[in-house]
Amino acid sequence: MALTNSNGVVRSTSVTGEFYDFACKVMLIGDSGVGKTCLLVRFKDGAFLSGSFISTVGIDFRNKIVDVEGTKVKLQIWDTAGQERFRSVTHAYYRDAHALLLLFDVTNRHSFENIRAWVSEIHEYAKDDVVVMLLGNKCDMTSERCVKREEAEKLAKDNKIPYMETSAKSGLNVDLAFLAVAKDLQVKKTRRPNDPKFSVLEFVDQQKQVPSKCC
Amino acid sequence: MSASNSNDLHRSEIDAYGFKHGEDFDYDSYEEFMSRYLSILARRASKWNKLLSGSGSVKRSSKVKRYVRKGIPNEHRGEMWMCVSKAKKLMDSNEGLYQRLLGQELDPSIQSEIDIDLHRTFPENIYFCNDAAASGKQDSLRNVLKAFANHNPEIGYCQGLNYVVAMLLIVLKDEEKSFFLLEKLTKQILVGYYSKNLRGLNVDQMVLGELVKLRNPNIASHMENKMAPWSLVCMKWFVCLYLDILPIETTLRIWDCLFYEGPKILFRVALTLVLQNEESILTARDTSQIVERFRKVKSQPLNMDCHTFMQKVFLDSQPLKMATIDKLRSECEQNL
Repeated sequence: MALTNSNGVVRSTSVTGEFYDFACKVMLIGDSGVGKTCLLVRFKDGAFLSGSFISTVGIDFRNKIVDVEGTKVKLQIWDTAGQERFRSVTHAYYRDAHALLLLFDVTNRHSFENIRAWVSEIHEYAKDDVVVMLLGNKCDMTSERCVKREEAEKLAKDNKIPYMETSAKSGLNVDLAFLAVAKDLQVKKTRRPNDPKFSVLEFVDQQKQVPSKCC
Repeated sequence: MSASNSNDLHRSEIDAYGFKHGEDFDYDSYEEFMSRYLSILARRASKWNKLLSGSGSVKRSSKVKRYVRKGIPNEHRGEMWMCVSKAKKLMDSNEGLYQRLLGQELDPSIQSEIDIDLHRTFPENIYFCNDAAASGKQDSLRNVLKAFANHNPEIGYCQGLNYVVAMLLIVLKDEEKSFFLLEKLTKQILVGYYSKNLRGLNVDQMVLGELVKLRNPNIASHMENKMAPWSLVCMKWFVCLYLDILPIETTLRIWDCLFYEGPKILFRVALTLVLQNEESILTARDTSQIVERFRKVKSQPLNMDCHTFMQKVFLDSQPLKMATIDKLRSECEQNL
């Protein structure tokens, strides 16, 4: 079935019968235990059930359709196992990903130190125009934090990627991370030559909320 | 919960292994199945009691193989797994090994990989949920994984083993036995599955693809057209040995065969799941739809009825020779 939306795009139907204009593939990557599945569940269902999460084996995915200024974007979100030995399996999926959300845990120094290695894997396996976003998750755990926001911001800047702190528990910036990706795709697909360019980096900088410091 | 109503027994939210039923648990189908299965269990139990009277152990024979395929009763399951896999023999000839391994310090990076997963292993199980400190099962899980990593530096810790060991602990109720059964499982039954390059696992997923190609070329080519590699669908089947893929009772019946017959059963079950979902695979329009449809196998009533399911496995998958698997393995190995 084909319908045309207000932006003049031909619409298709998803599995569940919902209409969407574009589909894009988003991958969640990062060390084991940084909260990839929690972030996905928070975005998909708006829930965070402490103590109910299981470690991901292999690769899993969920769909969610979001509305970007009247355009329906279907996000196909791939959740991956973080353990190093499973990376050879997940690499294969990098190349047709539109966006990669790279997570570390602000309470786990090691997961932050591994970000450089993750970035070089992205360069090796993903498309050149892939959207990458660095997310410092678990920012609600202020007393256990051991990665400063400034150092993460610097690392992101050095790699020319946006940085945000997220909390799958409180929901801070979770929707924004996914919406920014959807928005980027929507602009890429519908932009006319004279329209202004869209920068994920600027968009995120304007919209993101900064977690409140511990008192 | 009222004890006067016999239905409450079946309506219990927690099964015999400590798992809380999920929200989508189909109590009606389950009750319907259990009412039939209870008499089968009673018959199997009396046959096994007769078989084990006297020696308490079994030797390999076509009769024992048939008995195992029809299900080892719960009260004998742990001991029989130890016996038919020869893990018991291994344990008896390595007295003190487990305690020694526990006493050794583990590489801190491996220890932290294990620790990250302890709280994420069966949180819906009363023995492993995070407020179950009293039961000590999480500590046992840590111990077995630690001893195993110390003994197998080439494997260390592989995600997925947390679930496998947790299930062994539930059935065997003993750390040392679980350790030696895990040794047999990883060294003789599923060689290379959990190694750092996952080679054995990757090869066997390719072998499954080849077997599907032989049995049902339509499904194989549809998967290929939709760019759905078998690893996307079946990695967890092979890593977790159908835990969290199929209902627990069905999984345990598969494990009965796994410890007696070896890895063949994993392929036979996989083939059954693929073939029984032929229509839904062939009508799937993209990769994600294929994955979604396979995810539904857990709640398919057919798969809850473990007895009929296992009968179907041995019928549907047709005789499968280990020689065929070995031949395909060596071909796939070269393509890897």
